Amino acid sequence: MLRRVISTWLIILLLLAGCGGSDEDAEGEAVGGEGEPFRIAIVMPSSTTDIAWSQSMFDSLMAVQAEMGGESALKLAYSEGMFRVTDASAAIRDYASEGYDLVIAHGAQYGNSVFEIASDFTDTSFAWGTSSDTGAERGFENVFAYGAVANEGGYVNGVVAAMLSKNDVIGVIGPVAGDAKLYIDGFVRGVKDVKPEAQVNISYTGSFSDTTLAAEAAHVHIQAGADVLTGSAQQVVGAIGVANENNVAWLGTQSDQISLGPDVVVTNQIYNWANVVVDMIGKIEAGELGGTAYRLTFENDGLRLEFNENIEIDDEVKEAARAAIEDIKSGAVDPVLPEDE
Amino acid sequence: MVDELLTVSTLIGILHSCVRLATPYLFAALGETFGQRSGVLNLGVDGIMLMGAFFAFYVVFEGHSLWVGVLAAIVIGVLMGLLKAFVSVTMQSLQGISGIGLYLFGLGLSSLLFKTLIGSVEGVSGFRQLPIPLLSEIPGIGHILFNHNALVYLAYLMVPVSWFVINRTTLGLKIRAVGHNPEAADTLGVSVSGVRYTTLMIGGALAAVGGASLSIGLQNVFQENMTNGLGFIAVALVYFGSWRTVGVLGGALLFSLVNALQLWVQALDIPVPSEIAVMMPYIMTIVVLAFTARQIQKPAALARSYERGE
Amino acid sequence: MATGLRGIEDSIVYGIARPTGGHRAVNFRLNAPFVQMYGIVKRFPGVVACDHVDFDVRRGELHALLGENGAGKSTLMRILYGLYQAEEGRILRDGAEVEIHSPTDAIRQGIGMIHQHFMLVDTLTVTENVALGLKSSREPLLDLDRVEVGIRELSEAYGLQIDPRAPVWTLSVGERQRVEIMKALYRGANMLILDEPTAVLTPQEVEELFVTLGYMKENGYSLVLISHKLQEILAISDRITVLREGRLVGTVPTEEMSREELARMMVGRDVLLERSRDDEIDVGEVRLRLDDVRARDVTGQPALQGVSLSVQAGEILGVAGISGNGQRELAEVIAGLRPMSGGSVELDGTPITDWTTARRTELGLAYIPEERMHDGVVRDFAVSENLVLQEHTSEPFSNGIFLAFDYIAQFSRQLIQDFYIRTPDIRTMTRNLSGGNIQRLILARELSRRPKVLVAAQPTRGIDIGAIEYIYQQLLEQRDTGMATLLISEDLDELLALCDRIAVIYEGMIMDILDRNETTAEELGLLMAGVGLQKQ
Repeated sequence: MLRRVISTWLIILLLLAGCGGSDEDAEGEAVGGEGEPFRIAIVMPSSTTDIAWSQSMFDSLMAVQAEMGGESALKLAYSEGMFRVTDASAAIRDYASEGYDLVIAHGAQYGNSVFEIASDFTDTSFAWGTSSDTGAERGFENVFAYGAVANEGGYVNGVVAAMLSKNDVIGVIGPVAGDAKLYIDGFVRGVKDVKPEAQVNISYTGSFSDTTLAAEAAHVHIQAGADVLTGSAQQVVGAIGVANENNVAWLGTQSDQISLGPDVVVTNQIYNWANVVVDMIGKIEAGELGGTAYRLTFENDGLRLEFNENIEIDDEVKEAARAAIEDIKSGAVDPVLPEDE
Repeated sequence: MVDELLTVSTLIGILHSCVRLATPYLFAALGETFGQRSGVLNLGVDGIMLMGAFFAFYVVFEGHSLWVGVLAAIVIGVLMGLLKAFVSVTMQSLQGISGIGLYLFGLGLSSLLFKTLIGSVEGVSGFRQLPIPLLSEIPGIGHILFNHNALVYLAYLMVPVSWFVINRTTLGLKIRAVGHNPEAADTLGVSVSGVRYTTLMIGGALAAVGGASLSIGLQNVFQENMTNGLGFIAVALVYFGSWRTVGVLGGALLFSLVNALQLWVQALDIPVPSEIAVMMPYIMTIVVLAFTARQIQKPAALARSYERGE
Repeated sequence: MATGLRGIEDSIVYGIARPTGGHRAVNFRLNAPFVQMYGIVKRFPGVVACDHVDFDVRRGELHALLGENGAGKSTLMRILYGLYQAEEGRILRDGAEVEIHSPTDAIRQGIGMIHQHFMLVDTLTVTENVALGLKSSREPLLDLDRVEVGIRELSEAYGLQIDPRAPVWTLSVGERQRVEIMKALYRGANMLILDEPTAVLTPQEVEELFVTLGYMKENGYSLVLISHKLQEILAISDRITVLREGRLVGTVPTEEMSREELARMMVGRDVLLERSRDDEIDVGEVRLRLDDVRARDVTGQPALQGVSLSVQAGEILGVAGISGNGQRELAEVIAGLRPMSGGSVELDGTPITDWTTARRTELGLAYIPEERMHDGVVRDFAVSENLVLQEHTSEPFSNGIFLAFDYIAQFSRQLIQDFYIRTPDIRTMTRNLSGGNIQRLILARELSRRPKVLVAAQPTRGIDIGAIEYIYQQLLEQRDTGMATLLISEDLDELLALCDRIAVIYEGMIMDILDRNETTAEELGLLMAGVGLQKQ
């Protein structure tokens, strides 16, 4: 009997310990006194350190918080690793009922949940992305939508890749087919505009998080002759490790990936959500709880292309990249695949 | 297009990928084989791998040598095995549920420690390719088999070693007996708990080294949940290989071969929808499992606690 | 020879206690007590399994331990073998007190045990089973070749025919038993406890076993034979200790005892095992009729190939045959548990071929299944629940929705008393009862419904003599009140003692139906072997 009790508790402890890491408030209590801080909660599919989609938003939020004056001005709460939509949905509802001013559902897969919950909490503001749907047509007034025009940075990375490649073979590692399509389409267009004869090999791992397969995909691309690689989603950490080991150039997207491959990561397209967040806060404080669909572009400084300062890059390449960005900003280039592709 | 797949260099590439991809599966599945042969189902392999991956990475990240990292993984693997043994053998909890508990524990703790001790995804310099002199010079085979890092060789070395331990040592005889008829073993003075503790510690150590093979061998980074359920595939491979080390090797290679094939098919732009390509390993696993469902080798006492009865 | 000549302690480490070698003769004196047990007490919840029992075994002696199921004989020996711990009492080996806490301790003291359910690992070979748990000469590596040599030497010395390399799952029951004996011998046992060793053997295998035991005795081994088969005990033992209800009845030299005296010691009263041969048969109308019944076995092979027979009220019809000739299928077909592929069954004049088991029961069919632990009772139910298993939905056991607990309890107590079911309580889990008591429980349940027809499959197999006597008595009493009984048995003595007519079944066909007064065991034996097929 005693043994049953002990073992039951052990299992419960193990389970609690297992769940402990993923659902937590950012530390610190709200400082009272000079007015209530603005409160934002975010639910994201992977971890805050995924060096990809989730981290891009988390880093932006931290930047905004620092800008605004820390905990006393902006209070943040987050739930990470919510790859199951049912878990995420429960978390979103929890945050809404706890009275957060803005609840961010950081994943296109959370759309249904967001609108369902938004209709129950009309005084709370919600935001979700990647999407352009604010539900305004269906009468929603408290939902923001956001997304990145990732093909812009993809195009610029494509231009860089084409100029760096000596073999004229370039490898792309995608997550699930169809996802990251914008980035990859832009990338291919960028390559083709510079070197129409270059070969771009694209492989999908079928997962956002399978680092092992992504790493092997990098090996495969390298063996198939690729000397420049890019890829998207949190799985790419494995691939960057392989690129690093084989001294093959890597072009990053979403978050800063230089730390992983200090010698091989040439550029990063970085998603900077800070302006979007700041704008939403302003609107909410002014009583406007939703209705805007934001898009990150080079034009509005939502997208940035950063070069790795630590490695030598030909000025020619840097110049071509800058020119491409200007072309996109001015509308001279529309970085999408031609219709017949 | 298909011609492209059939060139010698592509075939060598596919087999090279296959040999390397099988590494973490081999470590984990061989470890699980020890546990299952002694009658303990450990579904917590993935959690142990994550802990092993983290500790190996952390030790190397802190500037220690790679082999110290492997040692750290072994130590944490043994501890995780002990924990599983305490819950499943001493406390006699249901083996399935306590394994899931162990998995969540490993997943959560490795993430927590990663956030606390490292904080962001970083890279380290892991095990390098270590071409074996002369052997790696053999055309074709040399590159496929003898041009890998040290942990890859170690994984394959563990196949005959595990076979030998299970089939040619007194410990192995006890393991086989305890997994099949613990009562009979008990009446001959074999400590059923002792044997099961031992196999779970061996299994834990191997799984943890499997994790280390990712974080300081194949990828040289650590990321939360970086095994991505690989440990569960390893458990399936043990069934697949019908509890024999050679079967496990075959299963791991077959699974990895299909994975390698699908990556190559995509990379070479062969017109197969990538959705189909990605599904290939899983479809194949199910098909093979369906055809190998009936096994006489299955340890009769698998997943059953043993208590000295009336 | 190189492996052998060592001391006993040494021989536990991979050597062999050599049966024919010189060292043994030196350190044993025939008839000196080897193991002595004094005042052993062991309690289980609700029962005192051993109540101050004394017991001793001498070197070179075959000592039989006799008693009904639940008398405490297995418990006593399990204490000696370290599987249970005695609460009180002392154990001496060669006159010195020893502590035995585990089988390992027992083995170290030279005591081996052959369990009724063999403790073998099926997937391992004979040699591996023998080597299991022993230190190897090449630790940590196995040295199976060396063990194999030892096994071959022992095989030869004691007439234990086994192939050391055969996987155990390929062996017959008799061969498995030899592996068990080999395990004990190889570990240098001086004493062997055999728990009901002949229960599972064919007559020929029993002969071989006794020859082996004879060799062992000559070589100074102490042997304890747990049994309730009076005949074989009288044939081969030197002394007999009888236990009853956990207490020692006495230890006696075999040559002074007769079968009747032993049975009296065991049961505590005179036992009537023979039925008087001159009673009148007063049969009535046909209660059960089978016409050209055909059925298949679990593997889909034809098991019954046109069986026709009928049983009349007030008659016991025996079905004789070697196991596996369709007896099981016959019983199941009548009980409604197995679909028929042809033919018809009538119960009391009503065709019941397509009826469910429940409807057959309602009409007056009772069934005592062969696998009583599996098919006869729900092991995890209380005794009282098993007693009302079929009728729990009808009056007076329930009102259709709720069970009438008071009535069930009263009813159960009555049956327990009437049928001498030995159980601590009506709420005791059935799995804790002995085989004989479970059979009494089934019999009580089936007969309390006053059935018109009883089908009893192997009702006395594996049951102690007291319970057998009781079952015989009940069957005969019910027969006298007009019940029609179909008794399926492999025991010819039993059939000849109880039945009015005997049908012989062979390969799913009835060879012949004979009047028991006009036949002999020899004639039945020939029919059972299929001889006489030509006559048809």
